[in-house]
Amino acid sequence: MSERGRRAVFAALALALPLALLAALSFGSVPLPPAGVVRSSLFHLGLAGGRPLAEMGEVILWSVRLPRVILAALVGGGLAVVGASLQSLFRNPLADAGLLGVGPGAALGAVLAVNLGWAQQRFFAMPLAACAGALLALLLIYALAHVGGRPSLQGLLLTGLAVSALAGAATSVLLVAVEEFRVRTVLFWLAGGLEGRGFEHVGLASTFVLGGSLALLLLARPLDVLSLGEEEAAALSLRVHPVRLLVFGLCALIAGPVTAVAGAVPFVGLIAPHALRTLVGPLNRHLLPASFLAGAALVVVADLAARSFGQYVELPLGSVTAFVGAPYFLLALRAQEGRG
Amino acid sequence: MSASIEACGLWVERGGRAVLRGVDLALSPGEALALVGPNAAGKSTLVRALAGLLRPAQGTVRLEGQPLGAWSRAAIARRIALVAAEDEASERLAVADRVALGRYPHRGPLAPFTDEDRAAVVRALRQTEIEHLARRPLGTLSAGERQLALLARGLAQDPAVLLLDEPAAHLDVRHQLHLFRVLDEVRQRGVAVLAVIHDLPRAAAWAPRVALLDGGRIAAEGGPAEVLESEAAARAFGVAIRGVPVGNGAERLWRFEERT
Repeated sequence: MSERGRRAVFAALALALPLALLAALSFGSVPLPPAGVVRSSLFHLGLAGGRPLAEMGEVILWSVRLPRVILAALVGGGLAVVGASLQSLFRNPLADAGLLGVGPGAALGAVLAVNLGWAQQRFFAMPLAACAGALLALLLIYALAHVGGRPSLQGLLLTGLAVSALAGAATSVLLVAVEEFRVRTVLFWLAGGLEGRGFEHVGLASTFVLGGSLALLLLARPLDVLSLGEEEAAALSLRVHPVRLLVFGLCALIAGPVTAVAGAVPFVGLIAPHALRTLVGPLNRHLLPASFLAGAALVVVADLAARSFGQYVELPLGSVTAFVGAPYFLLALRAQEGRG
Repeated sequence: MSASIEACGLWVERGGRAVLRGVDLALSPGEALALVGPNAAGKSTLVRALAGLLRPAQGTVRLEGQPLGAWSRAAIARRIALVAAEDEASERLAVADRVALGRYPHRGPLAPFTDEDRAAVVRALRQTEIEHLARRPLGTLSAGERQLALLARGLAQDPAVLLLDEPAAHLDVRHQLHLFRVLDEVRQRGVAVLAVIHDLPRAAAWAPRVALLDGGRIAAEGGPAEVLESEAAARAFGVAIRGVPVGNGAERLWRFEERT
């Protein structure tokens, strides 16, 4: 990948994200003119040329739509960075938090927190329980997949499938025990969505997602070395297991709260880094920031599609990303298997 | 002259089984040694133990006279480079980026690369004669070119000791000649080079000194003819080995026959 090509990709991504944000802020059940949205933003930033929208528009834009759109960007960015990191870690371009059971693990933790009543008492209980669930799932997969040496693609995916099924089964059991009036809420949350999320969720997600992504970016070079294989990494003086555990911990710190605020949003962590690997190359100092931008734009658009589908009903965000992601995954899997 | 690297009574167990049973071996700066032996003799294990990747149950590895335990991991990796037969790097990784990761022991996780690092990468690419491939992704290279890129990563470490495990395993004859010529040049600059070589005539042609590993012990050591024509070699490989002098008698044509 030439330096110029890489710069062009970054420029395109840096342009795509604001455009996606603007579109998502403008379109909706009450359409707002994009130019008006831009002027209102300028106004609130105290810049020249700014002018607020009509009162109704201001409320919709800044209190309803903005937190949701920012949250979509954080969810997408965070999941894409987690996906890219896990792909380097497992040395498999098709690894993904969802496929590896991290999402189901986080969901299990979150539902457990609801069941035990923690989530109602403390705002942070559910995201933290989701973190714990995600980390547990990762460690389980790591341990299981490494029984008998280096995990193959099949081994990894099948282990992830088994752990996902296990976490899903446990979640179902817990759902039976949840009081009836909460079941609908929990089910809808499990399907993934950003409806009715406010700035408190943005605060939560931004802390973990931005903090975790920055920390993973600082680990870009160790991740590159690790992607050469365990032995070569060790021979280059990398402490393989501590670095892996650190990356797992950071991935769980991102995936946990993301799952807690948005439910399961599958395939984003796979598509964004997988597609960008060809465009910006596999070095993590390029791949991680590019994945963040692409993942953010992807989920902002997916969420826009989810709420634009019908006038009265919203599609679950997780279904939208799955409708796009599953075929992509199958094609990518075919391509990779084809190469052997 | 003190040894660059030295194994003293090295005993290594893997999975509860003794693979190396008291190996003594030393390499001086600028020396080349071919390590030969039948399958499962412990060659790869010895190379990894010398690189400090396996902890010996008994005995020590000494690097420049000091036990490996006295060196930090990064300090070891700045002096010992290990080049394996298999390359597990991403297909999309560019050759120059792959080689640059050899500077990790010098810079660690965060420090930006300096001019010194960039010079080391360029030098490694030049020594292996793959400068023209620098921007190519690994997936587009031939097996031989990939092995040279792997060697270049080792050279970018700027090592005093270069350990190679079957570096020519997948190479055609032209790439083999190229690779061993590069190793000769590296050796002439004072690097101690130890290579596991499966192909016995190749080992004899390249290395002035050969060590035969059999059943986790050094069964014979010395000049190529001396080692390969020894009873120990015949026993280790289970074949009759005969060197037929050719030309002025300095070179030998090697003949192998099953023993009946």
